[in-house]
Amino acid sequence: MTEFQPNALCFGQEFPASGEPCLVQVEDHGITVMFLSGAAEDRSESASFSALTVAAGGFDHDQLVVRWVGAAGERTLYLKHPDVIRAFRQAAPDQLRAPLDRAAEHVRQARHRHRMVWSVIGGTVLVVVLGLWFGSDLLVEMAVDRIPVEWEQKLGESAYKDFLAQQDVMKEGVAVSAVEEITHRLVEQIPNSPYKFEVTVVKSDVVNAFALPGGYIVVFTGLMKKADSGEEVAGVMGHELNHVLQRHGLERIVKQLGLVAVLSIVLGNHQGLAGMMKQLGVELLTLKFGREQETEADLTGLQLLHRAKIDPSGMIRFFEQLSEKDEGRTEWLSTHPMSGARAERLKAELAAMPKMVPAPFSFDWTKVRGALGGEPAAKP
Amino acid sequence: MRSEILYPGAFPMVRVELAAGEHIKAESGAMVASSPTIDIESKMEGGFLGALSRKLLTGEKFFFQTLRASRGPGEVLLAPTVPGEIVIMELDGVNEYMVQKDGFLAGADSVAIESKMQSLTRGLMGGEGFFLLKIGGKGTLILNSFGAIHKIELKPDQEYIVDNSHLVAWSATTSYNIEKAASGWVASFTSGEGFVCRFRGPGVVYIQSRNPGSFGAWVRQFIPVSE
Repeated sequence: MTEFQPNALCFGQEFPASGEPCLVQVEDHGITVMFLSGAAEDRSESASFSALTVAAGGFDHDQLVVRWVGAAGERTLYLKHPDVIRAFRQAAPDQLRAPLDRAAEHVRQARHRHRMVWSVIGGTVLVVVLGLWFGSDLLVEMAVDRIPVEWEQKLGESAYKDFLAQQDVMKEGVAVSAVEEITHRLVEQIPNSPYKFEVTVVKSDVVNAFALPGGYIVVFTGLMKKADSGEEVAGVMGHELNHVLQRHGLERIVKQLGLVAVLSIVLGNHQGLAGMMKQLGVELLTLKFGREQETEADLTGLQLLHRAKIDPSGMIRFFEQLSEKDEGRTEWLSTHPMSGARAERLKAELAAMPKMVPAPFSFDWTKVRGALGGEPAAKP
Repeated sequence: MRSEILYPGAFPMVRVELAAGEHIKAESGAMVASSPTIDIESKMEGGFLGALSRKLLTGEKFFFQTLRASRGPGEVLLAPTVPGEIVIMELDGVNEYMVQKDGFLAGADSVAIESKMQSLTRGLMGGEGFFLLKIGGKGTLILNSFGAIHKIELKPDQEYIVDNSHLVAWSATTSYNIEKAASGWVASFTSGEGFVCRFRGPGVVYIQSRNPGSFGAWVRQFIPVSE
C-alpha cells in the first residue's frame, strides 16, 4: 500500500475534537474518505453526492465544509486543499452546483470585504500621512498667524536678554552709529510694522548676524570687519529683518513644537504653549531657517534695500565673497548655506527691478572698520 | 526529536532531545540550557522582510533562534518568560492552528509559521491585535500560556464563549464572532468582560487560566512611583 498524505480533516462522534486526518478522493458517484491512523485506521467510508450538503467554513471562510449522515453517524469534512476542492466542484452533479456556487461566492465576498476594509484603512492612513507631510507648512502658517505679536516679542526679548548677558555689547562708537543709521534707513521703509526693531552690536570675531522673533537683531563686529562697505552689512541686515517680518523664527518654533502645539494654537488654546515656547527660547539662538525661508528673506531683503535706496549689489557681493572664503569661523555661512544659484537668483531679480540711484550712507566705512580694528577697506 | 515537559505546573521547562543534525526553532531567548553539541543560530523566519513584518505587525520576536544538533545528538532545555503551562502538540500536516502572538514557544523545523491578518472587527475587539500566527505543517509544536492551559473541544456547530484575553490557540476549522459579554453595552463593561469571542466548532480551543493584561494592571499598583 502506498503512503497516503492526508488532505482533509473529518469530524464525527468518535473522532478527536481536533479532527481525524483523512484522505479524500473524489469519484464519479461521490467521495471516499480513507482514515490512515488512529482508531479508524485503514477504514474507508463513502458518500454519494446526493447525500452531501456543502458550505464555506473555517476561521478564514476559506475551507469547504461537506456534511452527510452515513452509516457511522454524522460526518463533517473540512476540505482545504485547492486541488481537492477543484476536483470536488468538477465532479459534483447539478443539484450541488448551486450550493457550491453559493459557498464560493461566500468565500469571494469574505475575501473581498477583507481586502476592501484593509485597503480603505491603508488608503486613509496614507492620505493622512501625506496630508500632514505636505500640508504641514500650511498648518504651521495658520498657527503662526494666530500667535499675537506681543507673545513673539516677549519670547524674542527673553532670548535676546539671555544672550546679551553673556556677550560683550558695544554701546557706542562709530560702528554702533553706522549700524543704527543702516537700521533706520531700512526700517523707515517698512510702514505699519508691528515690530520695534532693536539692533545690538556685539564684540566678537564671529562672522555672523541673526534675528530673533519680535524684531531683535544682533550684529557681530566680526561680520562688520569682513564687510567692504556699509551696503554689504545693510544687505545682511535687510535679510535678517525680513526673517522677523515673515515670522520665520516663529514658524520654525512651531514646527519644532510639533503638530499638537500647532493644533492647540489653531484651536485657540494658547495657555500651555507659552511654557513650551519659553523652553525653546534658548534654542532660538541656534535656529536654522529652512531653504524656502532663506530664499524668501533674500528676495524681500533685496526689495527692502531697493526701497531704502541702498545699493543692493553690496548684498550680492558680500554673499559671493563669503561663499568663496571657506573659513571655519564664518558662522553666518553655516546657518546660511551659500550657493552660486542663490547669488545668481538675486542678480536676476535685481536686473528685473527698476533702476534707482543709491543714496550713500553718511558714515565713512573705512573709519568704521578702522575703529573696529579691522584692516582698512581695500579700495576697489 | 523527542520532547518532554519537566516540572509540569506553573514553572515548567521542556526538554527536547535532538538527533545528530536535527534542529528546532524556538522563540528567541527561550533556551535555558543545552548539551555542548547544540549550536544556536538566530534565524529570520520568512526572510528579513517576513521577520520584520512579523516583528512590527504581530509584536512577535524579530528572530527565532534555531537550535541545531550539529556536532552530534544532544538535548535542549526551553522555558517561556511567563509562569504558566506548556503544551506539546503533534501537527499532522492537515491541522492548522491560529496562535496568539505570545503563545509560540518552539517547533520542529518542518512546522510552518506565517503571520495572518484578521478581519477588522476581530482585530479591533478580539484583543489579540490584527495579526496572529498561523501555524501548520508537520511535526512538534510547543505552545505556552500564562497560567494553566485548558483545552476546549468543540463538536461541529457546538458553540463556546471565551473572554478574548484568555485565548492561546485554536484550530483553523473553528470560527468566532466578537460579541458584547452582556446584552447591554454598559453591562458588558461593568461586568468586567467587555468583549467575548463566540467560538463555533468543530475544532479545539486552547485557553489560558490567567489574563496577562489584568495581571499587569494588578502588579502595577504595587510598583512604587519614582520621579
